[in-house]
Amino acid sequence: MFVVSPLILLALAALVGGGGSAWLFRRAAGAETTIRLLPWSFLNERREDGLTAFGAALGGSAAIVGALIFLGPLNFCPFALDDDGQADSLNVLMGMILFVVGALLVHTLVMRLALRWLRKERLLGALETRPGLFRGPSAWLIATVFLAPTIGILGIFLYYPMFDTFLLSTKLARLGAPRTRFVCMRNFNQLLSDADYGRTVLVSFFLAVLIVLFSLSLSLLIAQMVYRPMKGGRIYRTLLVWPYALSPVIAGIVFQLLFHNTAGVLNHMIDTLFGFKIDWLLRPDIAPWTVVLASTWNIMGFCILFYIAGLQNVPQDLLEAAAIDGANAFQRFFRITFPLLSPITFFLVVTTTTYAFFDSYGLIDFLTAGGPVEATTTMMYEVFEVGVEARNLGSAAARSLLLFTVVIGVTIMQFRFSQGRVTYGN
Amino acid sequence: MRSKFLFVCGLLLTTMVLAVPVAAQDCTAESPCVLDALIGFTDHRLEWAKDRAVEFGEMFPQFEVVIHEFSDYEPLLDSYILAQEQGDPPAIMQLFEVGTQFAIDSGYFKPASEIIGDRTEVMGQAVDFDDIIPVVSSYYTIGGQWSSVAWNTSTPILYANQNILDMVGIEELPETWQGVEEACAQLQPLVDDGTITGCIVWPNHGWFYEQWLAQQNTELVNNGNGRDARPTQVLLSSEASINIVQWHQDMYQAGYYAYSGVQRDWPGTVQAFNAQQLPFIMTSSASAGGIMMNAADNDMEVRTGMMVYDADVGWTGNILGGATMWITDGLGEEIEDAAMAFLLFFSNTENSASWHQTSGYVPVRNSSVALLEEQGWYEANPNFLTASIQLGDSQVTIATQGAIFGTFVETRNIITQAIEDAMLLGGDVAAILAEAEEEANVLLEEYNLLYVDE
Repeated sequence: MFVVSPLILLALAALVGGGGSAWLFRRAAGAETTIRLLPWSFLNERREDGLTAFGAALGGSAAIVGALIFLGPLNFCPFALDDDGQADSLNVLMGMILFVVGALLVHTLVMRLALRWLRKERLLGALETRPGLFRGPSAWLIATVFLAPTIGILGIFLYYPMFDTFLLSTKLARLGAPRTRFVCMRNFNQLLSDADYGRTVLVSFFLAVLIVLFSLSLSLLIAQMVYRPMKGGRIYRTLLVWPYALSPVIAGIVFQLLFHNTAGVLNHMIDTLFGFKIDWLLRPDIAPWTVVLASTWNIMGFCILFYIAGLQNVPQDLLEAAAIDGANAFQRFFRITFPLLSPITFFLVVTTTTYAFFDSYGLIDFLTAGGPVEATTTMMYEVFEVGVEARNLGSAAARSLLLFTVVIGVTIMQFRFSQGRVTYGN
Repeated sequence: MRSKFLFVCGLLLTTMVLAVPVAAQDCTAESPCVLDALIGFTDHRLEWAKDRAVEFGEMFPQFEVVIHEFSDYEPLLDSYILAQEQGDPPAIMQLFEVGTQFAIDSGYFKPASEIIGDRTEVMGQAVDFDDIIPVVSSYYTIGGQWSSVAWNTSTPILYANQNILDMVGIEELPETWQGVEEACAQLQPLVDDGTITGCIVWPNHGWFYEQWLAQQNTELVNNGNGRDARPTQVLLSSEASINIVQWHQDMYQAGYYAYSGVQRDWPGTVQAFNAQQLPFIMTSSASAGGIMMNAADNDMEVRTGMMVYDADVGWTGNILGGATMWITDGLGEEIEDAAMAFLLFFSNTENSASWHQTSGYVPVRNSSVALLEEQGWYEANPNFLTASIQLGDSQVTIATQGAIFGTFVETRNIITQAIEDAMLLGGDVAAILAEAEEEANVLLEEYNLLYVDE
């Protein structure tokens, strides 16, 4: 029935999770200096062994539960053998990914809570004091009450729909169809074995990187030129922010009128002035740059706004002192201004990345409709095409989950990379 | 606090008590029953529909037809499905022709013939389906039954800018692919010296491919183009299919077809023609109104001709495009009859003629064509007659009746993509279509899995 028995998988999860936690607890217990008497005698008498056993049991259970959160609802279908007794290797791979991710998620969460609890009970090290921490016997209750609305809203509008999307991605489902059919990992497998989808992922990254790079660098350049007080500066700065007031859809329509191959204004001008034309939307190697250009123009107003605010807060005395010490304009910019702007740059990198991955689909729809030859079809645009236009909800759910994974990955990388590089002034 | 609570409870109770008799109430002029109708237009065509709804309300004050507009057919259909799932569907919806299979599969609608029965009129509105032009009636007759009421019907035709053609002395409009190629060769010097940017354009959209397939009397899906039984195969690898895509590739590579690079580029192509960048465009007959208005403003002489065909294979006929009006099942006899009466009024001889004059859509009744002729409309506007001739001359075969299958919308997009690939990337057309066929068949198989009982 199964290529790997679910029981073996769960045993493996228990072994690795339990072993890892046991090691973690034992190491933490070794650093302990104070012992407090507690009703659990085994913890008191042979504290280290007790903690190790406790850690093993807790970690093992957490890993089992984690392994079950994705694979349980699916009934371990990725590991099921087909009628010919064959296993699909892609299915097994997807199953292993779900197994590891689920187990890791729950295990990490439980371990964090457990270590925190043990520290609070003085069984392990001392609890570090943080501002804003609830104290007292009913601290848990008060915290829970205050957090309940947020958790409730997040649960109903974010976590439940996400879980539902995951279940939907394992089905054949169409809007308006009388039934759905469970197909396990088929929607994912179709995507992962499709070379076109691989290209879509690459196109999404290509566009995102260029949009972030161009919009941030050009915005900083323009902001640097206009942030100082000058005559009519406020009007000028307002006009600079103007493009952001247009939705990506409108920007798409405007740029289509400009760049259209046969009826476009821009080509008419270029042709009149220089006697040649550029196939802005026709050539697969040029069209992505057209999208980058339009998106950059659309999002730049937003970045300029933040950079102007940031630049106006850069302490002038620092710059003056540097100037007196002989630093030239470039040195002042790269050694003082740019590092001081790092929180804004970081914020803008995250927001423009989100724009490039998610919001740009409206612009793409009206500018290139994903073409030519799918050269500007991004992951988000495909979710829209497949889910909304073709009403193929199962496949669209699978696509949106892959997109979600990619964007989460990119954001985590951005946070990791920025650690120690972003200074908030304190 | 307590009194507030009591007040709210009292209010709720009153509402409930009042609501029950309203639901059970008969339709009267004082409190007319509302018939919601969803349509996919937002421009002057919406205003035309709203005017007819008002007129109907004047004739039958016990009913109020409320028209709800949508920017396109797709969001309209989505809204309808969601309304059905929430248990509160509108009475009437406009559904595009490719959604026909979905309409049948969903079980949401009641066929027009079933509502009418053997009556010759509903609430004083004449039925007379024999008056509907054959291509239209054959498309919407499924299993011997009228499924819906015809409204906006169009077909692609050729528009030509005679001012440009005069520069190279072309007097006769091309009727065939070969004729277009000859004309384009004659026009090439104008492209070379920059007077025009290309020879001919049409939106890259599966609709045109379907038309050329029908012209060659070839079916798009198996099982009698989906009319004998639920289709299980999309047939993109047929000789006729390869022929069409090969012509696209040849025309593009010769520099005659001025592709904008944007799929389904309806506005861009018309804009290019209106800006006198190109002498020829093939697009929907529903664009006639806009194109002729622009021509009058800019001193352009525009002529129209039938959609060109492959002379080596010959012409069987064209398929219609557009949408029809469907009535929701389970409305109750009174509302159902009112909805049917409205639609019969909506598409009667006079209204069908006036709709044609407003929009450029083909008049769906023979009597409307006769009326327009009598009024001298076609004499004054000969370009508005081309589409009617094209559809009127079409032979009714399984191919020209048009395909019916559940994944029509997606398959159209797959075909459009295959044509784009063949033009921009080059390569073997048969191989490109074989790949497209495989993709389309997977979707059809998935669709059938969800709709066929095992």
